[in-house]
This record gives sequence, structure tokens and C-alpha cells, in this order.
Amino acid sequence: MIIAPPPQLELSRSSRAIIYGLIVVGALAAIVGALLEPQRMWMCWLIASYYAVGVALGALCLVAIHHVTGSSWSVVIRRVQEALAGTLPFVSIALFAAFIGRPHLYEWTSAGFWADADSTLAFKRAWLDWPLFLGRAMACLALWNLFGWAIRRGSRRQDHDGDQGWSRSNARWSAAFLVVLGMTHTMASFDWIMSLEPDWYSSIFAVYNFAGVLVSAVAASIVTALWLERRGPLQSLLTDDHLHDLGKLLFACSTFWMYVWFSQYMLIWYANIPEETAYFVRRTTSGWRPLFFLNLAATGVAPFFVFLRRDAKRSRALLSRVSLVVLGGRWIDLYVMIGPAHLETPRIGLTELGLAAGAIGGVGLLLVHLLRGAPVVPIRDPHLFESLHYEQ
Amino acid sequence: MGQRLIVAVFDHEEDIRGAVAAARRAGLSIVDVHAPYLVHGLDRAMGLRPSRLPWICFLFGLVGAAVKLLFEYWTTAVNWPLNVGGKPWNSLPAFVPVTFEVMVLFAGIGTVLTFFVVAGLRPGRDASLPDPRVTDDSFALVLAPAPKDDSIDREVVEEMLSRFRPVLIDEQISMEPGR
Repeated sequence: MIIAPPPQLELSRSSRAIIYGLIVVGALAAIVGALLEPQRMWMCWLIASYYAVGVALGALCLVAIHHVTGSSWSVVIRRVQEALAGTLPFVSIALFAAFIGRPHLYEWTSAGFWADADSTLAFKRAWLDWPLFLGRAMACLALWNLFGWAIRRGSRRQDHDGDQGWSRSNARWSAAFLVVLGMTHTMASFDWIMSLEPDWYSSIFAVYNFAGVLVSAVAASIVTALWLERRGPLQSLLTDDHLHDLGKLLFACSTFWMYVWFSQYMLIWYANIPEETAYFVRRTTSGWRPLFFLNLAATGVAPFFVFLRRDAKRSRALLSRVSLVVLGGRWIDLYVMIGPAHLETPRIGLTELGLAAGAIGGVGLLLVHLLRGAPVVPIRDPHLFESLHYEQ
Repeated sequence: MGQRLIVAVFDHEEDIRGAVAAARRAGLSIVDVHAPYLVHGLDRAMGLRPSRLPWICFLFGLVGAAVKLLFEYWTTAVNWPLNVGGKPWNSLPAFVPVTFEVMVLFAGIGTVLTFFVVAGLRPGRDASLPDPRVTDDSFALVLAPAPKDDSIDREVVEEMLSRFRPVLIDEQISMEPGR
């Protein structure tokens, strides 16, 4: 089925000014931070770039799930998620740049770190080798980008020739991607985040991170879709029924995140092994305590209780607000995961806010370009008609 | 004494939708609509109020969680205190998984039982169907006279519904007084 291409996204001058303003603020914060407090700057850079990689990767994962399950309801918002996934090459480079700041970030890279290490850390010592670390990071990022490129390409080609074969080939690419993602993201989260505190380990850490990635991607697609609806392109295409499903998805993902958050906490609390509990002691008995619980409230508890009700999931005001709260919660989540490795107490100042602003501006600019580069819905997708007339 | 009802049977989903909308516009009171499967949007077309069952579910969940927390506190801290790995008697994090399960159990079973009680479903109860074919391939619209005037003019109803190709229009006496 072919529909008339929906109107293109037009950006007002003020929105453009805001986006460029955010980027300038971010760049200034990065430069000043790198000169004055490099460790703090690189930490914020790692948070911002890993956050952005997570949103792109989560969006790609949602697109892949869409293709594998052959869903029809989500066709109308697939381009939004494809655009979010399209930022992946750029944010991958940004994340890789964070590894330049490694001496400030990863304690284990300093000479002599392993000299007085426990013998139980023998495997970690072999695994956490700088060239190997970079090789693994490159392999993960390259694989994700390859799959992202292939899946987005199939979708764009279908716009031109309407061949249903693209839907089938995308389903195969997506199935392979989901398997690859499960393994590579596990490794990536161990390498990039968990090794910040090399004495500590938690076997559920990768699941916990993946839940965070997924919940931030769902929240970001809701915010972007609602913004596109207000701006025009998705107006009259997006219905209450689509929103209801997105609301359910946000509810499910944030409940899953809360479940894994608690699982990690409870297992470590229960086993009570000193090298494991040190992680939570650091976060619950110091200045980190308020943020530690604020994270749980913003990413898990708030969406859970708000979206229990049916009409809340169909309300644009509640969906966009709660999604923004969840996106804020995801930043706190990463800050509480990454920060205590270097800081006794949280310090949220110009560096933190500036780099977060820069990331929002940069990703926003990329998104606008990606969304303008393709029709806002896949105009020849075989399930588009069904999706536009979706009822539940 | 039962109530006098008019039953109209249709063969197609579009017809029952149209007939329901027309009946509402004409101000007739719709007693019920029977369909062999879920027809999307029918609840809105009939003007049904949103179900209150989710609130019952929420209350049962709260009760389940509270009862379970009290019980586990009583068993582990009051009635038979056990030292497990040096943890305090009242170890809330350890109670959470079971509390969650019991909350879901109470909410699930409570909601289903409430539904059965409210809908009057019980073993051995006869099905009251306006037409036996509604369990197979037909759709039935059941109309009642408006509350004020007791008359329901069958000719008027027949004429109003004729463009929705009814298969059958019939008068019945309701078996359930007071519904």
C-alpha cells in the first residue's frame, strides 16, 4: 500500500537556535572541563556517550523485535526508532573518544595496578588488557553499526520499490542481530562500566544495563513521536491506540528494569560477600544515597504507578512527562553506576549539566537530519495500512 | 415477571456496529449485544461505562501484599525468630519476592472471582442466549423499551434496523428480572 508521503519535518528558527545552543554549551563544557578537571570531564563524557549509544542500540533492538515478530501496530512509529538507531555511527565514535581519556577513567590501566592485586583476580588481569579492551570495543561497535546499517537500508529500499522481500530479509537480519546483541552487549557493559571498579563483579550486571538501555529507548521514541506529532509529520497518523501500546511498552520495560535492579541488590545483600557489597555500601552510606534512591523512583516506581491506569497510557501529557522523567532517571542511573568509582560524593555542576546538554543537542541535530532524510512512516510497508487503522 | 425485549440478529460485524449506533441515536436502551468474538469499538458504540474491575484488582493486590508482609514479619520476627546468615529478624529485602508473588496471586484470583460473582457465573447455570447462533456466527442486539414509556414499537424498530440487513427480529421475555 502506498500513501501520500506525509509532510516533512520543518524546524522553526527558535528550535534550531536551541539545538545549536546546546551543542555550543556542551563543547565549551568539554573543553573547559578537559583543561581544569580532566577526570571529571571524561567521566561525564563516558556517561553521555554511553547513554546515547544505549538509546540508539535500544531503538535498533526495538526495530529488530518489530521485524522478528512481524508486528503491524508499530509500523507507524518504526521510522522514529530507525532515526534514533541511525545516530549509532556518530555516538559510537563519541563513545570511542571516551576511551582516549582512559588513564582518568579506568584504574586498572595504570602501571602497577595489578602488582598488589589478589590472586583471585588472575582472570580479570588477563582479560582487562588495554589493546584487547580496545579490540573488543571496536568489534562490538562495528557489529552493531553493521546490523543497524543493514536493517535501516532494507527499510529505505522498500520505500522505493515496494518489494515485500525487504521485510523478509529484515526479519532475518533482525533475528541475527538480537542474538549478537545479547552476547556483545553483555561483554560491552562488563568492559566499559563494570571494570571501572575492577574488584567488584555482579553476574546480573549486563541484564541490568540492558534493561536500562531498553527503557531509555522506549522513552526516547515516545518523546520523539509525540514531538513529531505536534510538529506536523505524524499528526493524524498517530492514534490513541498506538500511544496506548507505547505506554504499555514503557510500563513493561521500566517494571523489568526495576525487577532487575532489585534482583542485583537483593542477591548481593543476601550473599553478603565483602567484595560484592562494597559496591552498594559506597552508594547507600554516603552522599550517593539520595541519588541511589531517586534513580529507583524516577526510572521504576513513578512509571509503574502512573501507567497502571488505562487512561494514563492514552494521555499525551502523561506519556511525554513520564518519559522525560524516565530519561532523567536513566542519566541518574548511569551517574550512580559510574560516578562513585572516582568521587566520594556526587558533584553535579556545570561540567555534568553542560555535557548532558551537549549530548541532547548533538543527538537532537542528528535526529532532525535523519528524520528529514526519509518519509516519516515506511510508505510501502505491507503492514502500514493495518498499522494506521490499528484498534485494540 | 420478565421484561419485554426485542432481539435483532445480524450476520455481519459491520451491520451490528451500524445497528448499535442507530439504536443509540434513536434513544432506545440497549440491554446487551451478543457476538461470537470480540468486536473492536463496540463498547464505545454501546456507551458502556469503563469497567471498575481494575480497581478491584488493585485493591486485591494491595490487600495481598499487606497480608503477606504482616504474615512473614510475624513468622520470622515474632513467632519463630531464626538467625539466617546474621541478618536482622525483620529482613525486608528478603520478603520482597514472595510479597510480589502473593500480591499477583491475590489480584489475579480476586479479580476473576469478583467477575464471576458480579456476572452471576457459577457451575450449572444455564446460558441465556437470545439466539443460539451467537456462539457460532451471528450477532444479536437486544433492545428494551425506554425506561419512561413502556411501549416499544416493533414496526419502528424493524424499519430503523432494516438497512442493516437483520436476519431475524423477534420479541422475547427476559428471564432475568431486574437486569
